[in-house]
Amino acid sequence: MNLVLHTLRCVGHASLPRIADAAGLPEPEVESELIDLAVDGLVTRSTGIWGLTEAGKTADADQTTADLDASGQRFTVRAAYGDFLVLNLELLDLCSAWQLRDEATINKKRVLENFSDLNDRVGPVLAALPRLSRYRERLNAALARAQAGDMAELTDSMTSYHVIWFQLHEDLLTTLGIPRT
Amino acid sequence: MIFWLSPHLTQPTALIGAKAQGLVTLMRLGLPVPAAFVIAIPPRPAGRPAPPPPPTANHDAVRPAPPPPATAAPDPAQPAPPPPATATHDPTQPAPPPPATATHDPTQLAPSSPATAAHHPAPSPPAAATPDPDQLAPSAPTTATYDPARPAPANWTDVRAHRSLLPSDEALKTAVVRLGAEAVSVRSGAAVSMPGMMNTVLDVRGPVAPAVHEVVESWNTRRAVAYRDLHGIPHDLGTAVIVQAMVHGDRDDRSGSGVAFSRNPGSGSPEPYGDVLFGDRGDAVVSGECDTLPLTALHDREPTVWTELVSALTRLEAHYRDACHVEFTFESGRLWLLQVRPGGLTPRAAVRVAVDLADEGLIDCSEAVRRVSPHQLKAAVTPRMAAAEILTRGRGASPGVATGRVALTADNAVRMSGPVILVRPVTSPLDMHGLAAAAGVVTSRGGPTSHAAVVARGLGKPAVVGAAGLDQLTEGTLITIDGSSGEIALGEVPSAPGESDPHLRRLLTWAAATHRH
Repeated sequence: MNLVLHTLRCVGHASLPRIADAAGLPEPEVESELIDLAVDGLVTRSTGIWGLTEAGKTADADQTTADLDASGQRFTVRAAYGDFLVLNLELLDLCSAWQLRDEATINKKRVLENFSDLNDRVGPVLAALPRLSRYRERLNAALARAQAGDMAELTDSMTSYHVIWFQLHEDLLTTLGIPRT
Repeated sequence: MIFWLSPHLTQPTALIGAKAQGLVTLMRLGLPVPAAFVIAIPPRPAGRPAPPPPPTANHDAVRPAPPPPATAAPDPAQPAPPPPATATHDPTQPAPPPPATATHDPTQLAPSSPATAAHHPAPSPPAAATPDPDQLAPSAPTTATYDPARPAPANWTDVRAHRSLLPSDEALKTAVVRLGAEAVSVRSGAAVSMPGMMNTVLDVRGPVAPAVHEVVESWNTRRAVAYRDLHGIPHDLGTAVIVQAMVHGDRDDRSGSGVAFSRNPGSGSPEPYGDVLFGDRGDAVVSGECDTLPLTALHDREPTVWTELVSALTRLEAHYRDACHVEFTFESGRLWLLQVRPGGLTPRAAVRVAVDLADEGLIDCSEAVRRVSPHQLKAAVTPRMAAAEILTRGRGASPGVATGRVALTADNAVRMSGPVILVRPVTSPLDMHGLAAAAGVVTSRGGPTSHAAVVARGLGKPAVVGAAGLDQLTEGTLITIDGSSGEIALGEVPSAPGESDPHLRRLLTWAAATHRH
């Protein structure tokens, strides 16, 4: 599969630096790949923002499916997705509780501890496929930014813990060919 | 430890939980509640006083229990409190199917009396109609393994330790037989409310113990643990379990379920409000997966149920001195109340209700000021949509008012000129650029803790989720959404800043006066 194409599939529309960061690849390499993909009609660029075409979406779905079947890991990933769904409910509760907080009573330390605990427990899900290890790095980094005091990195920025988690959710759905409900 | 719910049960909320306490209140007010018993919350370890409940606690938990109202005593002028479901053989109603007890199994009833007998500190008189087995066998031995001398586990994470504190399977079986229902519901009920965190098992037929264990164990799901962590609820508080005769909202076309608020939870305006679903069970209403009708649909289709429900809401308000909401089911045209909770209002509605209640003389001005927290007050200032003809509604997920043209795809939201409202079934990361470009977002699926809701709040955009009937919206239609109340209206509707709200202004005046004293 094409990692740049797949990253863009999970991230949605994004600028080159964000795609490179999500893929964990150098920007020039990603840009060169994006241009090739654009030539093939799989991605487009508009005002500096890259996005998939319908053909790009189909190509990624085909490649990802073929890759998963070739790896023989479908069962493992399917189980990991089941585990993820349970954690996903917790994460969404946690994000909502943080966003709807009462400043007078919220305990920021406990909120961070809960995120940290969840971050540990999602580990086995991220071990289901080698390429998911990039989410491990990105989630850790977002949590570290919040722990360093930038609490917007939990739920309220485009690089937030929730946004990365949302992309992980999309990745698992796309990898398994499950429509979002 | 099992307690039968009756108007005379005086156990504290710390023992029977807030939900059971609510059911007792309903019974005291003479309102129809299916027969139920509660498996009490095990005692906390000795020497550990129960901490004060968090501020979100049920009113009954934070206030001394009011004396039973006049209706609790037999009053010929008042309708008698309804007997438990087992005794409601109303000749005008079709006879219910024979309860499980009708086919007497000698092995079940013969040897042991109900396990509850020995646990009632003061056996309460039964609610009129049914003979009470407690009284038939007051000194019978118990089969429960509960030992009051043994401390509860310090932490409920050891579920097996807790399990030993539950009534034995045999005792449960006996109690369910006594309930005499063809099916039961099994719900959790802690001393403080943890909405949506715990399991409910509906329509249990046959052994009830597995369902009881499932509900108890849901106390320790990670979600529930995290919820308690964030809301300052002690982990060893534990939960009660309510086993109740099942009433069937899906029995026939004169059956259904719903949620009813005594006042509009979005605006606080003083008329009943809610959702009803004909021919379906309550879980379908709560899940938001079915298209419900406004509560007023009951007025036309089941006028008797409507009248009874409205009267119940009025009495509950007078009792709680607050707006409240009930979960209800009607079965073959007969109303049953399954749960009551005070509050449940958006911040602006909470302000209006506090002021209106003071005007109605139910509370005084300083109590009205106390009712609204600084957090609610802050949120109440958020602009709201002025009164308008409502096209449809969902749940408010991110407060604020936005007006724009409907965009049905994220790409269109980016492409269209002028403000747009992105309308999607659900959102995925592929919609993020559309969300960023839109003035607001509406989804037809998902709840206030969906990805869409979190993203919208993160971006500070008004959002309505789980909205019904979105297929009637065509691209380009001008709509206005209110992310507090969940309302969606056609056209451009002005928004009113909080400061212009007369109720809020009055409350702030009262607050200032209170501070001066």
